[in-house]
Amino acid sequence: MKDTSNKITDEQLIAEAVEGSNKALAELVKRYEQTVYNFAFKVCRNKDRAENAMQETFMSMVKSLKQFSGKSKLSTWLYTIVSNHCLMLARSQKKYDYTSLENEDGLINDKNILDWKFSPEKLADNEELKNILDEAISKLPHDYRVVFILRDVEGLSTQETSEIAKLTVPAVKSRLHRARAFLRNELNKTLHV
Amino acid sequence: MKKQTTTCKEVMSHICDSLGEDLNSTKCTNIKQHLDSCPTCQKYFESVESTVHFYKKYDVKLDNEGHERLLSILGLNDLDE
Repeated sequence: MKDTSNKITDEQLIAEAVEGSNKALAELVKRYEQTVYNFAFKVCRNKDRAENAMQETFMSMVKSLKQFSGKSKLSTWLYTIVSNHCLMLARSQKKYDYTSLENEDGLINDKNILDWKFSPEKLADNEELKNILDEAISKLPHDYRVVFILRDVEGLSTQETSEIAKLTVPAVKSRLHRARAFLRNELNKTLHV
Repeated sequence: MKKQTTTCKEVMSHICDSLGEDLNSTKCTNIKQHLDSCPTCQKYFESVESTVHFYKKYDVKLDNEGHERLLSILGLNDLDE
């Protein structure tokens, strides 16, 4: 998450918001709403659920801002909250049928290496491709999905990812490894020439 | 395609393990050598990279209505400039 203002830091805004400034609170929301929404969408793969998770996240932020210690970045704290809300939303759904990634051996298949007919540059306005991506990542168990998105998509460090996902560093690395291999295999099934 | 001590499967596993990280350690020397000379593993490497890029590029924007709904829920809509 990027700080969009050079004038006032997050810490200053938090201090003002805790003192009761709604203007500072609104600025914090404005600064992070897009990132939180985008992350929630990438985890939930559904716009309504992403908006719901984003709203819940900022309601939690407003409620608990006084308890924010400042030991971690605000963005790390928000990622933690939104990840939890996404998990709760996933659990509340009647049906979720994730693929088990315990069998690591089967994830790497050196006999099935094919060229792909799409490159990432072709993604814009290609709904078929977006559906393929949604379907593939929806098969990942929640913790694997969160690790993949935080680490590879959002570009957070392994340490930050482990704090947010409440996993050890080796567990983050293992999940990232398996998530990459699994998603690559899923896309390979439909994107090959 | 295969070298004596490093198999394609090992290289592919390593790619999934360390994509985007420093591959200059001694441990990685065999992997790099294999990767440089194996078109199959190079293709695999590219497909894992593409996988990450596909998901990186797949962004959604919060529209103005969504922004307004959020501020309204938080009781902050009067402050939006």
